[in-house]
Amino acid sequence: MSSSSTPEPPGEEAALLALEEIEEAEAILEQQPPKAEAALGEGARGSRGSGWVTTALAAPGFVYIGFYLVAPLVIIILVSFWTWTDAGFQKTWTTANYSELFNDSTYWHNMLSTFETSLIAVAACLVLGFPVAYFLALKVESLRIQIALFIVALAPFWTSFLTRAIAWTFPLMGREGALNQVLIKLQIVSQPVQDFGFSTLSVRLAMIQLYILFMITPLFFSLAQVDRAALEAARDLGGNWWRTFREVILPQTMPGIVIGSIFIFVLTMGDYGTVATVGGGNITSVGTLIYSKIGAVQYPQGAASAVLLVIVLMIGVWVITRFSNLREEL
Amino acid sequence: MIQTLVAAAETAERPQDVVVRRKVKRRRDWGKIGLGGYFVVFLFFLYIPMILMAILSFQGPTGQLTFPFRAPFSLDWWKTLFDANTFNTIADDVSASGRQSLWLSLVAGGIVAIFGFSLSMAFLRRWRFKSDVVAFYVIMLALMTPAFLVGLGNQLLWKFIGQTPNLWETALGANVIWGIPFAFLVMLAVWNRYDRHIEEAARDLGAGAVTTFREVTLPLVWTGLFGSFLFGFTLTWNDFDRTILLQNGYEAQPLPILIGTWPSSRPILPNLYALGAGTTAVTLFLILVVLVAVTLRLRFRSAPVQQAAEEFGDTVGLGEAGGLAARAK
Repeated sequence: MSSSSTPEPPGEEAALLALEEIEEAEAILEQQPPKAEAALGEGARGSRGSGWVTTALAAPGFVYIGFYLVAPLVIIILVSFWTWTDAGFQKTWTTANYSELFNDSTYWHNMLSTFETSLIAVAACLVLGFPVAYFLALKVESLRIQIALFIVALAPFWTSFLTRAIAWTFPLMGREGALNQVLIKLQIVSQPVQDFGFSTLSVRLAMIQLYILFMITPLFFSLAQVDRAALEAARDLGGNWWRTFREVILPQTMPGIVIGSIFIFVLTMGDYGTVATVGGGNITSVGTLIYSKIGAVQYPQGAASAVLLVIVLMIGVWVITRFSNLREEL
Repeated sequence: MIQTLVAAAETAERPQDVVVRRKVKRRRDWGKIGLGGYFVVFLFFLYIPMILMAILSFQGPTGQLTFPFRAPFSLDWWKTLFDANTFNTIADDVSASGRQSLWLSLVAGGIVAIFGFSLSMAFLRRWRFKSDVVAFYVIMLALMTPAFLVGLGNQLLWKFIGQTPNLWETALGANVIWGIPFAFLVMLAVWNRYDRHIEEAARDLGAGAVTTFREVTLPLVWTGLFGSFLFGFTLTWNDFDRTILLQNGYEAQPLPILIGTWPSSRPILPNLYALGAGTTAVTLFLILVVLVAVTLRLRFRSAPVQQAAEEFGDTVGLGEAGGLAARAK
């Protein structure tokens, strides 16, 4: 190589070459085990051989998702740029839907109030759900009881949101609902508080009640992974409850908190059924607004509203993920 | 001399033989008690609307939508769901909707289980398409897209291709979309604990691919498949936000649509509560069945391992291999 231009003692050069060779050999040696392992792994996986089996396994699912999820989302974006007609929409490109929307104060008012509801729901679910997940994951010693209690807490997830929303509306929060009756019995109020049923408060409480499981589940799984030895070490080292919580538990549960918050945020921002049922037409959200636009055959306007909602959702999710490096944690 | 020394040594109290029993006063874990109490209150908060609704569905004929409970205790409102000859009957709608919902949910559960199985399997085979990260995010997109937007998008798509959205082609598809990511995650968890060497052993013993799958793979993962089916079934059984935009009104409405449009289409009576409580009961019953099945299976599966562990005094940690049931013991 450079030996002709810079005269060096031949012995040194040979030594350098030998070193290089050794390094190369070491590199090869280092590479070997993973390669061998991979080969073994492939052997253990058996009949694969080529990728076509895998592709055959994956293709139907992704075609399905493509047709029922990706294509519909793309069409929402397309329609939001098309022109409104009496029959729905026609393929003439326009940005009128958006400029109309940006000047629509009702829409932004609704976006703001939905966003507020969402933030409150995320915060409330976190604060109310954390002790539940903490109790289940760290305070219940028997695995069997832990699983049983977790399932009892989780079972409503599989039941109808709508039914629970209706159950929330009339029997509990209505003008003659149980809550008002209890308050009157306890002489906290003298008249039934009309405000409970079909109110923003009612909608928010119902959302917390309906969606809190989406916060508790990820919290539970990340809390269950907290190193108990670290907890004991923290206690032995004299850390009080708050310091143990802040410096040992919280950092390890951050992924759970982030995933739960994303769930609640997306679910509450995109909610239609709860607002429509519990709000009883008095309360509007972005969801009910889009729905009424679709009901009025204003598809492009509805689509544009939906696109803006998705953008707000994506910004929100991005902000939430800043709190933890999820990809590393998962 | 030596013998006496040995005898003395044998009788002498060695310090390590002395058992010191310190009285350790077990401190009450007030944190645990407090959190336990909170947990009970939380369950109350979670279940109270459903319980109130169920109670109110058992009122007498003068029953109203709110407390106090109008006596006598009766099944009258439940009867209106099933008996077409009662006053205020909705039996025809309930049976049509119930059947529609049941079939839709069963089919959705089946599709979700199949896709959960195939997609997770493809992932485990390290899909060398280089786009498996993208593929993972696509599946997660199905989880994160608001229900309402899936409904809206599908409606627009079907309008665009000039078709009328309907339950079996459109709403079913949209419902399955939400089930897929749940089933996918469930199956990934199942595969992670699954030992593929068993398959290899089966093949070494001369089993073909189909036999291996049927006799080895399937019995080991069927709880995961069952769980995936449960997700698909219950999500469809309860869906309102997607289906409401994807039905055309000519077909029998699924139960959630019947319930959801009830307040604006007919008088609200306690039989709405009976219907709500009934659909909820179906779901809870299904979960119970799955749980019992899974518990029985775990006990059945871990029994030989536990026996071996007991026989050998568990010196090699066989008990750990017994998994969940062994640990629970």
